[in-house]
Amino acid sequence: MTRVRVTAPRTAARPAKETREAAQDSEVGQVFVRSLIRSQLRLALVVAAGFLLILCAFPLLLAAVPGLAETRVAGIPFAWLLLGAGIYPVIGLSAWLYIRTAARNEARYRDLAEDR
Amino acid sequence: MNPGVALAALVGVSVATAVIGFYGLRISRTTGDFYVASRTVRPWWNASAIGGEYLSAASFLGVAGLILLSGTDALWFPVGYTAGYLMLLLFVAAPLRRSGAYTIPDFTEARLDSLPVRKVTSLVVVLVGWLYIVPQLHGAALTIRITTGLPSWVGSVAVVIVVCLTVVAGGMRSITFVQAFQYWLKLTALAVPILFIILVLAGSGTPALAPPSVNPTGAPPAGLYQNVSLLVALLFGTLGLPHVLVRFYTNPDGQSARRTTLIVLGLLSVFYLFPTAYGLVGRMFAPGLATAGQADAMVLLLPGELVGGTAGDLLSALVVAGAFAAFLSTTSGLVVSLAGVISQDVLGAGVGSFRLAAVISAVVPLGFAFITDSFALAGSVGLVFAFTASTVCPVLLLGIWWRGLTDAGAIAGMLTGGVLCGGAMIAGALAGAASTPGWLAQPAAWTVPAAFAVMVIVSRATSQRIPKTMSKVMTRLHTPERPLATER
Repeated sequence: MTRVRVTAPRTAARPAKETREAAQDSEVGQVFVRSLIRSQLRLALVVAAGFLLILCAFPLLLAAVPGLAETRVAGIPFAWLLLGAGIYPVIGLSAWLYIRTAARNEARYRDLAEDR
Repeated sequence: MNPGVALAALVGVSVATAVIGFYGLRISRTTGDFYVASRTVRPWWNASAIGGEYLSAASFLGVAGLILLSGTDALWFPVGYTAGYLMLLLFVAAPLRRSGAYTIPDFTEARLDSLPVRKVTSLVVVLVGWLYIVPQLHGAALTIRITTGLPSWVGSVAVVIVVCLTVVAGGMRSITFVQAFQYWLKLTALAVPILFIILVLAGSGTPALAPPSVNPTGAPPAGLYQNVSLLVALLFGTLGLPHVLVRFYTNPDGQSARRTTLIVLGLLSVFYLFPTAYGLVGRMFAPGLATAGQADAMVLLLPGELVGGTAGDLLSALVVAGAFAAFLSTTSGLVVSLAGVISQDVLGAGVGSFRLAAVISAVVPLGFAFITDSFALAGSVGLVFAFTASTVCPVLLLGIWWRGLTDAGAIAGMLTGGVLCGGAMIAGALAGAASTPGWLAQPAAWTVPAAFAVMVIVSRATSQRIPKTMSKVMTRLHTPERPLATER
């Protein structure tokens, strides 16, 4: 397959649309589409559930270990560090993992459906 | 603080907004094709613009104020605002971009092939937008009153006028530049003063007046239900906000919509460190700001309180400028998306009707703002998130991921969520903050499941109404564009 660099989005959009229409016309195409949607939904649910578990684990950890919330790290109570700053890297990491895997799912779909 | 300095800051940020708006407009005219131009905005610009638009009065003033009042309980607000964007990325970002819809009513109409669904969605979206603009205007009124001593209404009216002028004159592309500029302005305006304050406090060895775990007003800690319900509202509310969706249209394809969202998450994470720092420093070194009953103004008053002198005045001016950037950017983002909906569905197409719709979208909430009282900004925005989570969120999520959704189910679910959540909001407002029980004050935990349940049950009962175009639309939502577009 040769790839040509297309700079204008409008001209790039057109063949994409035709391929996508063609892909969904056939029975087999629909099977691929359904399987793509299922795997993307499963991925989103797994990442969301994992994130929410970690989110719930933070206050539970603070409640379970007495004195931990008030322990000072560089003058700041640990509870504030954990909830005020520590959660953001978890959000970023979840997002990054999701994007990587979602793009991989789509690449697999393209291999199956469009390069037949 | 010095009223002259504050006024200069206000005028400065308004003029800068207008100038960038007009400059951006000129660029978009020279590119020749306005809409294609707006779809090739670079991810960093676009992400900054999304951040600029999303960080409202609630984030800039309200979060720090609530943290000052209720400590670690209020930390769930910034966490929820950011994690809401994670949910948006997981469930909505790429499919929504691929749908090609410009507004939420466009999306529901295309997905369900039904005009009545479009009308109901439009109604809900306009309500959400208006409810969301009101706290911005309250924030502006508060800022003007605290910093310049002018009457409150001057602040709200000034925001409405500047927003109307820039929206009526500009277009999508110019708004993108304005919003992107305003993200960085807001970040600077929060970061520089608090870092300066921390350096001054550390340098002078000032002892803390109170430990951070004590609520300055003696407010009781929030219960588990309140925190859970708040998180439900924030996590599910973000993905239904009308001004957020418009921004996704400016990405060239689905994969770049995801990348933009990842950058936005980084920008939001960095931003929210600072309101948290203000709240913590306020609790330890200036707990008196909470008892004055104006906790929302804490960010504005802290530099004057802890630094003072000319340096305090200049830092205050910077914070005031940032606060106004927050009111202006969120309000203009909402007005643009509301004007799109109102002009398409009520007034008919055309530039003239778009401009009229923009003015209507800004002036109606001004009326609301005059007749309602400002209570905690982050709290009232939290309620808007609850309303969005109970109405727009179910129809988006089920529309994107469930083949069985029907027009009847969508309408029944949106109305159920809207009536339950709207009713709870009205009942809570009538009863007053002190006597409202927790389940009414934070309704999302039961109104969101109710809306989802009604939507699913009615759709199942009317499954013969599943539109014929369904599998075609689902394919378009979920299948990737050409590799070239995604591998750049």
